Amino acid sequence: MKASEKTRLATASAVIVAVAIGYVVNIGSGTLSAPGIWDISVLCPLGALGTMIASHTVIPRAVVSLVLAVVAFVIFGRAFCGWICPVPVVSRLRDILRKGKPATIRVEGAGMPLSEDEKARLGTPCSATERAGKRGCKVDTRHSVLAGAIISTAIFGFPVFCLVCPIGLTFASIMLIINLFATGDVTWSVIAIPALLVVEVILLRKWCYAICPLSALMSLGGKLNRTFVPSIDDAKCLETSKGVKCGRCSAVCTEGIDIRHTQLSKADLSECIKCRACVEHCPSKAVDMPLLPAKKEDVAAVAPQAE
Amino acid sequence: MSAEKTEEKDAGISRRTWCLGAVSIVVALGVGTLKITPANAVVRPPGGQDEGAFLASCIRCEKCASICPHDVIVPAHIEEGIVGVRTPVMRFDSNYCDFCEEANDGHPLCAQACPTQTLSLAGVEVANEGVVMGIAELNRDWCLAYRAMGCKSCYDACPFDAIGLDGTGRPYVLEDACNGCGACEVACVAAQSASLLEGQTNRAIVVQPTKA
Repeated sequence: MKASEKTRLATASAVIVAVAIGYVVNIGSGTLSAPGIWDISVLCPLGALGTMIASHTVIPRAVVSLVLAVVAFVIFGRAFCGWICPVPVVSRLRDILRKGKPATIRVEGAGMPLSEDEKARLGTPCSATERAGKRGCKVDTRHSVLAGAIISTAIFGFPVFCLVCPIGLTFASIMLIINLFATGDVTWSVIAIPALLVVEVILLRKWCYAICPLSALMSLGGKLNRTFVPSIDDAKCLETSKGVKCGRCSAVCTEGIDIRHTQLSKADLSECIKCRACVEHCPSKAVDMPLLPAKKEDVAAVAPQAE
Repeated sequence: MSAEKTEEKDAGISRRTWCLGAVSIVVALGVGTLKITPANAVVRPPGGQDEGAFLASCIRCEKCASICPHDVIVPAHIEEGIVGVRTPVMRFDSNYCDFCEEANDGHPLCAQACPTQTLSLAGVEVANEGVVMGIAELNRDWCLAYRAMGCKSCYDACPFDAIGLDGTGRPYVLEDACNGCGACEVACVAAQSASLLEGQTNRAIVVQPTKA
């Protein structure tokens, strides 16, 4: 496990612990659905949308929360998924249950010289049509879940997704267990809520990838994200400096982004969860995640451009 | 978060995406229809008494439960209804609601902290006068006083003089004065001190939701 993976696990776990402690000591920390302290909080953007649609009311705090969420998405893209969300932490249970060692990352033909064709591709950014076909640029199931949740909320008059949101279920499970032991609050919920969480996150293995409507919202906001975007120093990259095939940055990306060969990338950069795997796995330390994009021509080939 | 196999490479939306999209919308609508499943009436925290408005705006963030200084707000059980699961309800097993008299000069912290205005005390000057969370209901079969055991714990505990005593010292609820704070329920010794009757499932005095 590389350093950033540990840090990410630690930050997401720290959030869970902080919420649990906040619940026990009654400081009103809420959950990630409305994080804050005492009576100050911001709302989850999806919760904010849901509550306003279902109750036909404009709620000032919800509007402010939505604006703040958009600002956060523009600055950090989908970093929430990589660093804060408890769902990836819960889904680690799957790896524990499977007991298998994580697959080693191997790239076919690594170390071989690049062909002329491959060399030519290095300098060419992907075209608008190529980009439009990538995940994050075209509609996928996350967007239809988002649309379905909003339509259902409008029809049935309650924030539908909140009922099944695995982030909410994670914190609810913890609280139910605390209540069970602290006050003897015995209920089938103690079984049912974690069971639903397990079904969503562990059995439906692609929750984050294919279902999560929050991820859809973040990916939409991430289109405007220009900060903390992974970029390659061509002077260091093995492929550009030595003409040797490498591709590790792409192989380690859990989101299917290939920052080196944007034409081959399955996903748009707006899908980046800022996990820093590409930065850490790069054998020549050529990848960086700078606060602001460098003003260089060749970086422009990597960073998404407003069309 | 694992990378998916490359979908069909055309720039448009593949048939698979269309199908999955349709399925997900149907599932989302299906979750919405849970609203018609049966649900018990429940005792809501201060300011959440309009049940329809409550379900429309509560996002189950547990903020109220986490700020409650007496820990009397808990996530609703699934037994009380599927659609209301995890929404906050009052539970007077070990404490009662003093409308934050002690913690916040009588302004309930739950309503102050509620980020979606689901618990809203707008227009209520004094919470313990303007809010009726529920009404205490006395079960005479279970009450010790009605078995001539001379108990009046609930009468002594009620902060709002909402329990009277009849000629023989047996308690009864003055419904107009009761706001459902739960002090009597906490104090009730029936079913607590080894005095469980056959068939008894609860204390003899319990706050019940108001009948709308």
